[in-house]
Amino acid sequence: MKLSVWAGIRLVVHKEITAGLRFRAAWTAMLMFAVTSLACLSLALQGRDPGPVILAALLWILLFFSSFAGADRVFTDEAATGTLEVLKIYGPSQAVLFGKMIYSFGLLFVLACVLVPLYLILLDVTVLDWGLFSAVIFAGLAGIAAAGTLIAALTVGSSVHNGLFSVLMFPVILPVFLPAIGLTQQALTGDGAGLAYLGGIVLYDMILAVAASLLFDYLWYED
Amino acid sequence: MMKVCIGILTAAVVFAVFFVVPPAEGLGYYVRLAFFHIPLAWVSVLAFFLGAWWALRYLKSPAPILDRRSSRAIALGLVFAVLATLSGAVFSKLTWGAYWNWDPRQTTIFVLLLIYGAYLTLRSAVRDPQKRARSSAVYALFSFLTVPFLVFILPRLYFSLHPSPILNGSGSIDMDPVMLVVLVAALVDMTLIYLALLKYLVARPDKGGYLDEP
Amino acid sequence: MITITFDRVTRSFGGKPLFDSLDAKIRGGKITAVTGPNGSGKSTFLRLAGHLLRPDSGQVSVKCDDAELRRADYRDRLGIVTPELRFYPRLTAYENMTFFLGLRGKTLTTDTYRDLLKRVGLDETAVRGKFAGAFSTGMRQRLKFAVLLASGADVWLLDEPAANLDAAGRAMILREARQAAASGAVVLWATNDAGEEEKADEVIRLGGNPARRS
Repeated sequence: MKLSVWAGIRLVVHKEITAGLRFRAAWTAMLMFAVTSLACLSLALQGRDPGPVILAALLWILLFFSSFAGADRVFTDEAATGTLEVLKIYGPSQAVLFGKMIYSFGLLFVLACVLVPLYLILLDVTVLDWGLFSAVIFAGLAGIAAAGTLIAALTVGSSVHNGLFSVLMFPVILPVFLPAIGLTQQALTGDGAGLAYLGGIVLYDMILAVAASLLFDYLWYED
Repeated sequence: MMKVCIGILTAAVVFAVFFVVPPAEGLGYYVRLAFFHIPLAWVSVLAFFLGAWWALRYLKSPAPILDRRSSRAIALGLVFAVLATLSGAVFSKLTWGAYWNWDPRQTTIFVLLLIYGAYLTLRSAVRDPQKRARSSAVYALFSFLTVPFLVFILPRLYFSLHPSPILNGSGSIDMDPVMLVVLVAALVDMTLIYLALLKYLVARPDKGGYLDEP
Repeated sequence: MITITFDRVTRSFGGKPLFDSLDAKIRGGKITAVTGPNGSGKSTFLRLAGHLLRPDSGQVSVKCDDAELRRADYRDRLGIVTPELRFYPRLTAYENMTFFLGLRGKTLTTDTYRDLLKRVGLDETAVRGKFAGAFSTGMRQRLKFAVLLASGADVWLLDEPAANLDAAGRAMILREARQAAASGAVVLWATNDAGEEEKADEVIRLGGNPARRS
């Protein structure tokens, strides 16, 4: 009986969540990185207002680098537990890719739920357009999940893979990173680049997901 | 034979740049640098296209020669990209007073450098030859996506000091015809130099080296 | 019925050549032993047969009644027991099994689960609620078999399957392998043990430097 992709994705997500909840070290590292970086920033600023441009940039630097601390785990953990091979045999490629992508996004969402409120409080940020603010964060994290899952698959089994992940991610995520900063700035001040950029990020996210889907088969299968 | 032709063409282009081309409006004789910078930038992008093309072919039907071509095309492209960046920075300093100002073209070449660097880092980090070929092919294609987005997003996102494209949107050419001919010749010349160097790199026997660490 | 054909296969491992122009044909319906000294490439051979590795040159083709099997279609029929295989350490036996079997589109009822455990000699109470990471090597080996049996695979890749098992365990494996072969499955059994080799219907001997089929 052939399994539908959706059922496969659900299975993978369920497994990731179950195993993830039982192995807290995996995501607590990511959260702690985020919180400590934010605390450092707040301490350094000492209540000074750096202005909306820098505040927007700071948010995205925090989000990106914190997420990098956790995003590559979806595959490196498999390699570390030795389950990659058996997963390759039993798991159809698309179910594994999208299952892990969705789980990554969930993880990043949790990260944002912790980081963003702290950011708003510690750096005393006022948001004018909450809708835009949330939408940009959503779209940005989706991009990281889409690109990050494929790149995590690339770095499995390589040496120095932690630094490697960030190096590989950065050029690919730049079309998300730069407009996201501009849009966040607009959400903070009501004045900025324009909503078309949000559409651009969403479009790019979708392209990343499709490209990841097409390319992943080449990594997952040897024939 | 081919090398002789390239040699002659190169000599002709250099001669034309220094003795034939009139000074450009507003840029004066500094425009000469553009005849090196623009072809270098053009080849940097072309190199990446070639690398991505062979990467795609490798994935479809893996043969070591395709990986060889892809990796060397990209590695050589890095050299041209670095030269393009440096020449661009010098040009920028001479004409606008600052080496770097993150205008869209400079940002694009910078991102290209990042992609090249990331690609080479990936290659040196994967031990198994088959895995290395496959992973770098996938990355070459995946990172390829970012370039058109940046080329279109950035000009609208940030203010540009870069001269407007010689061939602008409407297709009209606002450049002295002599300059245009020499520029095209320079583009062709630089492309041929690149291809000849690439051919040499692909064909020469390997001593191991940075791209294929065992 | 499935046949796996090795056609002039070459493969190196860590820079060392393992196979040089190896030819072999493996048919379903019998137990085929793969023997050879340590380091002769038995595990690599198994993985090549399972399309889990690609040869450096040559071809490994898998056919089911003349139709080529590739990628997901082939993987769906594959079952593997190797020493390196691990289950998710923080999931129980039941959770591991439902996950992997679920990916094959098979549901695991509690009755089937109990029957499987009995068949492979795992004590249900010992296994209940216990994380797979805490299993002894013997328990782990039996769990691997439980998954294999439930998966309905008709290509079995067994790499030293009787390691870490007592006499009863070894008898269990042989019994199950015989049963699978009788129903037409391909059973590839890599072993160092002369006794196991004897029980096989066909033998592929690796060894020599690099290996050719003898």
